[in-house]
Amino acid sequence: MGHTAVKICGLQSVEVLKSMINLPVDFIGYVFAESRRKISPAKAAELTAALNSLGNGKVPETVGVFVNPTLEELEEVLSEARLDVVQLHGTEAPEFCGEVKRRFGVKVFKAFSVKPDGILHGGLSLEAYEGVIDGILLDTYDPRYGGGSGTAFAWEYAAYYRDWARERGILFLAAGGLHPENVRDAIAAMEPDGVDVSSGVESEGVKDPAKIAAFVERVKGSMTQENKQVPDEHGRFGPFGGRYVPETLMNALIELEESYRKFQDDPEFREEIAYLLKQYSGRETPLYYAERLSEHLGGAKIYLKREDLNHTGAHKINNAIGQGILAKRMGKRKVIAETGAGQHGVATATVAALLGLECKVFMGEEDTKRQQLNVFRMKLLGAEVVPVLSGTRTLKDACNEALRYWVSHVQDTFYILGSATGPHPYPMMVRNFQRIIGDETRRQILETEGRLPDMLIAAVGGGSNAIGMFYPFVGDESVKLVGVEAAGRGVDTEFHAATMTKGTKGVFQGSMSYLLQDAFGQVLPAHSISAGLDYPGIGPEHSYLKDIERAQYYPITDREALDALQLLSRLEGIIPALESAHAVAQAVKLAPGMSRDEIVVICLSGRGDKDVESIMAYTEGGAEL
Amino acid sequence: MSGATTVNLMDKTFADLKAAGKTALIPFITVGDPDPDTTVDIIVELERAGADILELGVPYSDPLADGPVIQRASERALVRRITVETCIDTARKARERGVKMPFVLFTYYNPVLQTGLERFFPLLQEAGISGVIIPDLPYEEAEEALKLADAAGVQLVPLVAPTSESRIAKILSRARGFIYCVSSLGVTGERSTFHRQVDEFIASVKAQTDLPVAVGFGISNREQVLRFSELCDGVVVGSAIVRKIEESLPLLKNEATREQGLLQIRDFVAQLNIKD
Repeated sequence: MGHTAVKICGLQSVEVLKSMINLPVDFIGYVFAESRRKISPAKAAELTAALNSLGNGKVPETVGVFVNPTLEELEEVLSEARLDVVQLHGTEAPEFCGEVKRRFGVKVFKAFSVKPDGILHGGLSLEAYEGVIDGILLDTYDPRYGGGSGTAFAWEYAAYYRDWARERGILFLAAGGLHPENVRDAIAAMEPDGVDVSSGVESEGVKDPAKIAAFVERVKGSMTQENKQVPDEHGRFGPFGGRYVPETLMNALIELEESYRKFQDDPEFREEIAYLLKQYSGRETPLYYAERLSEHLGGAKIYLKREDLNHTGAHKINNAIGQGILAKRMGKRKVIAETGAGQHGVATATVAALLGLECKVFMGEEDTKRQQLNVFRMKLLGAEVVPVLSGTRTLKDACNEALRYWVSHVQDTFYILGSATGPHPYPMMVRNFQRIIGDETRRQILETEGRLPDMLIAAVGGGSNAIGMFYPFVGDESVKLVGVEAAGRGVDTEFHAATMTKGTKGVFQGSMSYLLQDAFGQVLPAHSISAGLDYPGIGPEHSYLKDIERAQYYPITDREALDALQLLSRLEGIIPALESAHAVAQAVKLAPGMSRDEIVVICLSGRGDKDVESIMAYTEGGAEL
Repeated sequence: MSGATTVNLMDKTFADLKAAGKTALIPFITVGDPDPDTTVDIIVELERAGADILELGVPYSDPLADGPVIQRASERALVRRITVETCIDTARKARERGVKMPFVLFTYYNPVLQTGLERFFPLLQEAGISGVIIPDLPYEEAEEALKLADAAGVQLVPLVAPTSESRIAKILSRARGFIYCVSSLGVTGERSTFHRQVDEFIASVKAQTDLPVAVGFGISNREQVLRFSELCDGVVVGSAIVRKIEESLPLLKNEATREQGLLQIRDFVAQLNIKD
């Protein structure tokens, strides 16, 4: 894995091509044969020009796809559109291939179609092509189309062709029915030099940038070529993460990890989640250009990723749906969750109702008082809310209590953890369920602006919305990643939740990360106006991104967040959650210093309805911050 | 064991009891509950009551493996800012008072990390603490700690649970001191019922190791001590004793009734002692 070349075939639009910026694609295919993907030579030239203007890193080679062309036809296309490779899909004879190579100075790939019995279509003999081609592409035979039908052939036939190609020092590319979900298996089975995909990265007949990205990522491993894949098999993000839990939980976590890895690539599992995200939660969420806010701040163009428009009002549902479906697949009928402000609790109660699961939500007693409406909401949804009386009676204690309960009920209960924290595999799993935020943002900004943003800003408590937003961009060095943590009454007081600014490395709730603690390793109470950020720990991947200096983390006080909340409400008619208001506040600080052609995307993780009562206490009731 | 120049006191205690056909009574208390001086007094009483080995619990802000009784004890101790070093110092003071039984420190991993892994184990060794139990440091994360513990001659005692199954052999391969078998799924605290296959589980662990095997989590009365003594080499009683201390707090805090409080704790532990 990692060295396999990727060929994306049948490109037709400049927009799609631009969406592939920074993706390590090796070949781009233009179809000149009769097909619904056929393009004119002029269009090919336009696409190639766009490709070269993207200008970062290695430019993919261009491949023209033909079926039994004449030399004159090739002449006509090549005079208008420069091609690196001519790919021949018909019954072109070896002599013809040699002539194409000589006359046009291009490389020639010969496509062969494999029939179900493993025999080549058209009575072709591989051996005759020795010395006149630079690569072979093995595709499925289709009686109607010859090849390129998008269905897979029996992969075990590949070994002969691969070995033949390898002995002659030419490329062996596998095609036919590949898509993001099966490409890893295909590579493992055939060990090709490259994979070719066309319909497998389309939605409703059109190339889908998210599928292209997913396909490339599956082939190349992590998109961040210089960073190694995180987490590693021990759940480590550099020195952070891991699995520091009582022995009683170890097998449950191992079972969870194995099940997750098994279902992660199961097309049915992925489709079930995708269906619910779309039809139930209302994804995709808009990427909204906040024109009045941008004008007001007088600097960068500001976009808002509207996670607040999800069902239940926050990004938490993305993860709750994913883990809920996983619980069901694992045959667990009971789910538990922890919650601070109640957003994750409501999301879990919602998903439990939807999937017919029994649900218990642990919530610090202090928070049940602060968020009575959400407590009632969970009860309406059929969940049991368990007030937690231990420790500081807030989010961290709710997590402790959920873990303790899980230890006792591990055999029939699934713990739906709400943030990118806790023992492995939770930080990885939650990130993967939340990365849809960043994946959509990437596609949307490329559609609207034709380029990647300069900065992403997201609030960080445990860090699930932020890591979901950041992760698909980690490999794009031009995109600054900014996490915003709660400074409460100020980082120099005792009342804040600024884990990155003031914390040190420690083990807390199952993983190694930055942590607010005293010199003796006792965890310190956190404080924030926002219950969702009121947490002394942070997800291990954030600690990793901080230490490798890929992301920066800044503190925002209660006061600054409250001001930003009011500003956004008045300028854009959007009342953000107090958590998200921290991200807005950081944009208020940074955007004015940026130029008008720079682009900032704020992750608006949740809506403010849940907070209006407490906001009123500060703005109208004179409560002290 | 590598590193230890003399026979570890805990090994000797288990060997002597085994020779006499007896099972070790291993009480657990939270250090600093209600204060370090009282803890020293309690330790003295526990030895008089027939304790063979003592687990000294380091109070922690987020004790994941503990039930409400020990959580409350931790909270009481933390009001006095009890640290790892206070606990080690308390052990040393108990020795000075003539306590002979081996000590095992029970601490969550983060206080160990903040003390410094390199510093932590030699500190234990110097204070005459034989071993350490770190409930949130499973096999996979324990490699470095084990190396440093071995080097200092301190035994890193592992936990195995009824759900450990295929992990048991792996855990036993690196075990030191004794094996701590968790009697039931769940956190610490008194119980009337245990994991339904607990007998088979303990037997299976015993069959796979030459080290002593102790059982804990939930054992709270004489009857249960008797029951588990049949199956293993040591029985840990924690929450029941910590609760007794909690009940005795009003007596302990008053100089006039302090002795009465200590006696109450001693009597409770003495009736758990089935050796005589």
